[in-house]
Amino acid sequence: MRVMLRRLSFYAVTAWAAITLNFILPRLMPGNPAQDLINRSAGKLSPAAIKAIQVLFGQPHTSLISQYLTYWRNVVTFNFGVSYSFYPTPVIQVIRQSIFWTVVLIGLCTIIGFVLGTLLGMFVGWRRGSWRDALVPVTTFLSSLPYFWFALIAILVFAVSLRWFPSSGGYGIGLQIGLNWPFISSAIYYGTLPALTIVIASVGGWLLGMRNMMITTLNEDYVLLAEAKGLSRLRVMFTYAGRNAVLPSVAGFAMSLGFVVGGAIVTEIVFNYPGIGTVLFQAAEGQDYPLLEAIFLTITMAVLIANLLADLAYIALDPRTRES
Amino acid sequence: MPDQRGTGPARQQGWRADADPVLAAVDVTKHFPVHGKDAGRLGSRRVVHALDGASIGVYQGRVTALVGESGSGKSTLARVLAGLYRRTSGEVLLRGQPVRAAHGRAFRRHAGEVQLILQDPYGSFNPMLRVSTHLRRAVRVHEPGRKGDSLQARTRELLEQVHLRPAGQFLQKYPHELSGGQLQRVSIARALAARPSVLLADEPVSNLDVSIRLGVLNLLAELTRDGAGLLYVTHDVASARYFAADTAVMYAGQVIESGPSERVTSEPAHPYTRLLIASAPDPARRAAAEGTAVADRGQPPSLISPPAGCRFHPRCPFAMPECRTQPPPRIELGGGHWSRCWLFADGRHADGRHRESPRKEP
Amino acid sequence: MLITPDVEAMAAGPEEPGPGRSWLRGILAPKVLTGLVIVGVFTAMAVFGPMLDHADPGAITSARLQPPSLHHLLGTTQQGQDVLTQLIYGARVSMEVGFAAGILTTLWSLLVGLTGGYLSGASSELLSMFANVFLVLPGLPLVVIMAAYLPHSGSAGIIIVITVTGWAWGARVLRAQTLSLRRRDFVEAARATGQGPVKIMLYDILPNEVAIITVTFLGSVVSAILTEASIAFLGLSDVTQWSWGTMLYWAQVSGAELARAWWWFVPPGLCIALVGTGLAFINFGIDDVINPRLRSAGSTPRRRRSRALAGSLARLARPPVRRAAKGPEAARGPGIAGGPGGTAGGTVLELKNLRVEYRGGAAPVRAVNDVSLTLRRGEILGIAGESGSGKSTLARAVTRLLRPPAQIVSGEMTYTARDGRQIDIAGLSDRELRQFRWEEVSIVFQSAMNALNPVLTLGTQIDDVLRAHRPGMRKVQRAARVRDLLHMVGISPDRAGAYPHELSGGMRQRAMIAMGLALDPEIVVMDEPTTALDVVIQRQVIETISGLKDTLGFSVIFITHDLSLLIELCDTIAIMYAGRIVELATAGQLYQRPLHPYSQGLLGSFPTLTGPRRTLSGVPGYPPDMRRLPAGCSFQPRCPRALAACAGTPPQLIRPQIPDPASVACLLYDTDYQDHPEGLTTGGGRA
Repeated sequence: MRVMLRRLSFYAVTAWAAITLNFILPRLMPGNPAQDLINRSAGKLSPAAIKAIQVLFGQPHTSLISQYLTYWRNVVTFNFGVSYSFYPTPVIQVIRQSIFWTVVLIGLCTIIGFVLGTLLGMFVGWRRGSWRDALVPVTTFLSSLPYFWFALIAILVFAVSLRWFPSSGGYGIGLQIGLNWPFISSAIYYGTLPALTIVIASVGGWLLGMRNMMITTLNEDYVLLAEAKGLSRLRVMFTYAGRNAVLPSVAGFAMSLGFVVGGAIVTEIVFNYPGIGTVLFQAAEGQDYPLLEAIFLTITMAVLIANLLADLAYIALDPRTRES
Repeated sequence: MPDQRGTGPARQQGWRADADPVLAAVDVTKHFPVHGKDAGRLGSRRVVHALDGASIGVYQGRVTALVGESGSGKSTLARVLAGLYRRTSGEVLLRGQPVRAAHGRAFRRHAGEVQLILQDPYGSFNPMLRVSTHLRRAVRVHEPGRKGDSLQARTRELLEQVHLRPAGQFLQKYPHELSGGQLQRVSIARALAARPSVLLADEPVSNLDVSIRLGVLNLLAELTRDGAGLLYVTHDVASARYFAADTAVMYAGQVIESGPSERVTSEPAHPYTRLLIASAPDPARRAAAEGTAVADRGQPPSLISPPAGCRFHPRCPFAMPECRTQPPPRIELGGGHWSRCWLFADGRHADGRHRESPRKEP
Repeated sequence: MLITPDVEAMAAGPEEPGPGRSWLRGILAPKVLTGLVIVGVFTAMAVFGPMLDHADPGAITSARLQPPSLHHLLGTTQQGQDVLTQLIYGARVSMEVGFAAGILTTLWSLLVGLTGGYLSGASSELLSMFANVFLVLPGLPLVVIMAAYLPHSGSAGIIIVITVTGWAWGARVLRAQTLSLRRRDFVEAARATGQGPVKIMLYDILPNEVAIITVTFLGSVVSAILTEASIAFLGLSDVTQWSWGTMLYWAQVSGAELARAWWWFVPPGLCIALVGTGLAFINFGIDDVINPRLRSAGSTPRRRRSRALAGSLARLARPPVRRAAKGPEAARGPGIAGGPGGTAGGTVLELKNLRVEYRGGAAPVRAVNDVSLTLRRGEILGIAGESGSGKSTLARAVTRLLRPPAQIVSGEMTYTARDGRQIDIAGLSDRELRQFRWEEVSIVFQSAMNALNPVLTLGTQIDDVLRAHRPGMRKVQRAARVRDLLHMVGISPDRAGAYPHELSGGMRQRAMIAMGLALDPEIVVMDEPTTALDVVIQRQVIETISGLKDTLGFSVIFITHDLSLLIELCDTIAIMYAGRIVELATAGQLYQRPLHPYSQGLLGSFPTLTGPRRTLSGVPGYPPDMRRLPAGCSFQPRCPRALAACAGTPPQLIRPQIPDPASVACLLYDTDYQDHPEGLTTGGGRA
C-alpha cells in the first residue's frame, strides 16, 4: 500500500507540475499571446471569454500570485474559456466531444500493441537463433517509422488503391451518434485502418524490448531449474521466463506511453479522425491557445491515469513490491 | 610463500598486552538510515544498528583477525577504521590520536597510514584501466612529486613486493586479463603504494580459489613482518587461527569475544563462538568420528530492532534471565582473553565454560 | 559468493580482448556495420548533396505531379518542384536538427544525470523527481504547444523545443548508471587509496559511462529527427524551410495520398526510417558490448542439436534391458574407474568417457574431459574442484541442462532405475527427457535466491512439479504433499504461500531441497548448495541433507570447492582439475592418504581448527587457462613433483594399489615410470 501511496503522491506532483507549466509557458513566451488573440478576434469575443483568456495567459495589472490562484480555480471548474477555432463553442465542450473517440481508439490500440508486441517478443526471444531473429531488423525498421507516414501509406494502399476502408472520418455521414448498431458498425469500419496503423507502428518497440528481456531472463537460474523440473515448454516460457521478462516492460510503460500517444495523435490527424489529435492540430493551426492548453492538460491527465493503472498492474505482477 | 619456515605465521608473534595499538576503534557505533519499504512512516527514523559499541585494536607487526558471519558488522568496522564511513559515535585512534578525517587533505593523510583491501579482486579494479594506471594513480595520491621514470620504478617495485614477476609483464595488462589471485596481489600492491602502517584486509581471500588462498595470506603475513599492522576480516575461523595472533569475534554489531587466536578457537567462551566453531567444516572431525550435531537454533537477529540484553540470547542454549534484559559487560578471562557473556560473571566462569551441551536436539 | 568465472565466458572468444578491442569487435559486427553505412550515406547526402545539386528545392515549375522519370528521378510535387532536390536539401535540415538536438539533449542529460547521481541527499532526489515528472508528461502535445507559441520558427527554435522536452530519459538512465558505478567496489577502492572526487569522476565514473552516453546520444538523435518531422508535418515549423517533415506536410495538405502520388511522400518517410534504423543498429552493437548476454551465442536450435547428439552417441539398447535375474549384487557393474565399492548398493548412474566442450571461440574448450564415474545407490559422491575445473559443467551435463555453446561431444551416461531398467540419458528425446527429469534426477543450485522464481510462491513452484509429473493427483493431495515436503526440511508448512524474497537464505536453500525431493528422485545433484550460506546455516543445511538421505535413500552428487566439507559429508570423493578427474577415492582414504599432488596441495590449503598449527603453503602458481591448457598433465606446471614425462602424456586414471580401490591420474603411480618410487611413499598423509 505504501508503494501505491508513494506513486500517487508522485502523480499528484506531476499533475501539479503540468498545470503549473501550463500557467508559466504563455507568460514566458515572447510577445503577448493573450492580447494577440483578443486583437485577432476583433470584437467577436464576449467580455466573459476575454476574461477567461486573460486568466489563462496573463492579465495586466494583477499580481502573478492572484493570477495563479484564479487560474487554478478555472482549472478545477473546467473553465477554459471559449475556443477560438470552434467559436463560440466552449473549450470544455470541444474536448468532451472529441475525447471519447481518442480514448477508445488510442486506448485500445495501445493495449493491443503492447499485448501483441510483448507476446511476439516472448516468442522471438524464447528461441534465439532461429528464423524468428529475422524479425528483429524488420521490427527495428517498423519502430523507426513516423506514425503519420505509415498512415499515409495505409491510406494510399487500403483506402485509395484497394478501396477496402474509408480514407478519413470516424463514422458514416448522416448516422446518429449513439448506441445503435449502424453507428457502431460504421465506427468500427472507419476505425480499423487508423487502429491497424497505430498497432503495427507501436508493436515493434514492445517486441524489441521484450525480446531483449526474454533473452536476459532465459539465462536466469530459475528458468534453468524450471526446465530441470521437467515442466512443459509452455509453462516454462510463460510462467517462468515470460512472467519475469514482462516486468521491465510494464515498469517502462510510463516512459513509452508518452511517445505512443504522441504518435497516435498525429495518426488521427492524417485520418481526419474526430478525436482529440485532430482538434489539437486545428487548434495549433489556428493558434487557439485556450484549446491547446486544455488539450495538453487533458492528455496529461489521461496519461497519468494510464500510468497509475500500469503501476497497479506492476504491483499485481511483482510480489516484491507488495509488503508482507 | 615458499620461503615460509617453521611453525606457521601466527606463532611468531607473541602476545604483548602492554603494547599500544597503532589503530584502534573505541566504542564505535554506526547506524545506517533505513531506505525503501522497511523505512517506516515519515518521521519515525528507523536505523540499522550495524555497529554498537565495537572496540578493536590493530598492533604493529601483528595480525588481528575479526571473525563474524555476514551482517555481523565486521566489514562496517573495517570501513569505519579506514575512514570511509562516518561513525555515529565513538572514536578511532591512530597512534593514540583521535582521527577526524571525513574529507580532503585530512582524509588523505589518514589514507596514507591506513589502507583497505577489498574482497572481490575483479570488482575492485576499474575494468577500463590498465594495472599500471591503477598503481600510478595510487602512488601519485601520496607522492605527488613522483613523475616519469621514478614513478615507473615505484610501480615495478610495488609489483615485485607482492611477488608478481616480471613486473613489466603485468603492468600492461587489463584487470580481466589476470587471474583472481594475481589481481588480489595487485590490489595489495596498490594499498602498499601509500606505505601504510596499517592494512585492513576485508575477506581478502574469500573470493579466491582454495589452492591460491594460502599464497595470498602468506604474502600478507610477510608484509606484517616488515612492521605494518594487519586487520584480517574473515568469516573463516580456521584461517583466523592459522594466520592471526589475536582473534575478535563479532555478532550482530558487537565484538563478543576476543583474545589470542589459539585460546579463542580451542577454548571458546561465548556460546556463539562455540556454535561458530562447531559449525565450521573440519576434516579432522571425521577422523575423530565425533558426532557433532549442531541444533537448528534460528538465525542472527534483525539489526533494525535488535534484541534487548545480550543479542545472542534468543538463540543461546544457556540463556539466563539477566541475558534477556541487561547487555553483558566485558569479562576478562585472563591472558588477554575476554568475552561478553553473563556466564562468566562473578565466578560463574568455570560453570559456564565446562557445562557440556544442554542442547536439545530437535 | 565465490567468483566462478564460468567457462562459458572464457569460451566466448579465443583471445579475450581488452576494452579497446571489444569495441573494435562491436563495430565490426554486421549489424553495426550496416548501421554505420546507412548513417554515413545520409550524412554525406546532408553535407555534400546541396553542393552537387544546385537546383532550388522550392522552384515552382509547370511539371506538376510527375511520376519518376529520367528528368525527375523521384518525380515532382504539385507545385512542380523536384522531389529528389527537396529530399537532398531536406536531409541537411533533418540531420542538422537531429544531431544538434541530440548533442544538446545528451549534454543536458549528462549534467543532470551525473550531478544527480553523484550528489546525495535531497538535491539528488529533487533532480530525480524533476526528471521523472518530465518523463511522464506526454512529449508531443507539449512540443506542439511550445511550437505553437513560437510559430514558424526556424531550426533553432525546434532544437530548443526538442531539447527541453527530450532530456529526461537520458538523465534518468545516466543517473541510474552513475549511482550504480558509485556503489562499485573499484570506486570504493579508489576512495580508500585517498583519491579525490574529481579524479574519481574523471577516471572511474565517466570512462565506464561512455557506452551508455553513446546509446543515449544516438537514441536522442533518432527521437529528435522523428520529433522534427512531426512538428514540421503539423505545420508548426517554418514550412518554407525544406526538411523531410515539411515535404510530408506539403504532401499531406495537397492530398498526395489521395492523388496516388506515392513518389512524393514515400521517399522522405523512408529516409527518416532508414536513418532511425541505422542509428538503432549501431545502438544494438553497443548494447551487445555492454550486455554480453544479448550476443547471439547460441546459433543452433536446441532441438536439432539434441537429435544430432542422440545419433552420434552410442545408443544403449531400448526397450530397457532387464537385469533382474542377476540381482543388485551383479548389477554393481565393472565401473571403469573401479570406484570404491562396498559402501552402498548397486550402480544408479554410470558415466563413461564423458566429454563436454564449449564451442564458441576458435578452439573448443574442453570443460569436461574424459570423465568416468560411478554413483551407487544411497551414496554421497563428492566432486571437488576449483573454478573452471568443470565440476558444475559436469552437473549440468548429467541433468542435460547444458546450453549452447556447451555441448556433450562424446561419452555415455547410463541411469539404472530401481527395477534394473537402463536409460541412456544423452539419448532421451525432448519428451522422454521431460518425464525423466525430476522423477529420477533432480538438482539443487548454489544460489536459491536466483533459482527460485521471484514472482511465484514457494508452494506454487513445488506444486508445478507435481502437476507436471503427477497429473492424476488432486489439488488437495498436491497441497498436502507440498506441506509434507516443507515440514520435512524444517520449514513451517504455512510458509507455502510465501514468496522467495520473504524467506531467509537458509530457508530458501531448504525450500530448494524440498522441491528437489518432491518426486522421490533416485539422484539429487547438488551444485554448491551451501556456498552462499554462512557456516552456521551451512551446517544446519548439511545436517538436513544427510538426515533426509538416510531416511529416503536417494543418492547425492555433491559439488563444491570446499574439500574439507566433502570429507566430512561424503562416501566417495572425485577431485577434478582442468576438466579431468585426477583422483577418485573414499573420503577416508583421501583424507589420510591423498595420492595426486594436486589433492595433496588442496588438502594442505585448508587450515584446521584443531591439531598443531603448521605453516601451510597451498598450491604454487595459478589455476590454468582452460583455453590454453599445457600439454600432458594439466597440473604439471604447478606440480612440485613433476617428471619430465609429465609434459608429454596426459595420464590416465589408474588404480596403483589394487585391491585398494583408490584411483589416480598421475605418472608418479604408473609402473612404467616406477623409477621414481617416492611417488608411492610420500603420499602427504596426515594421520
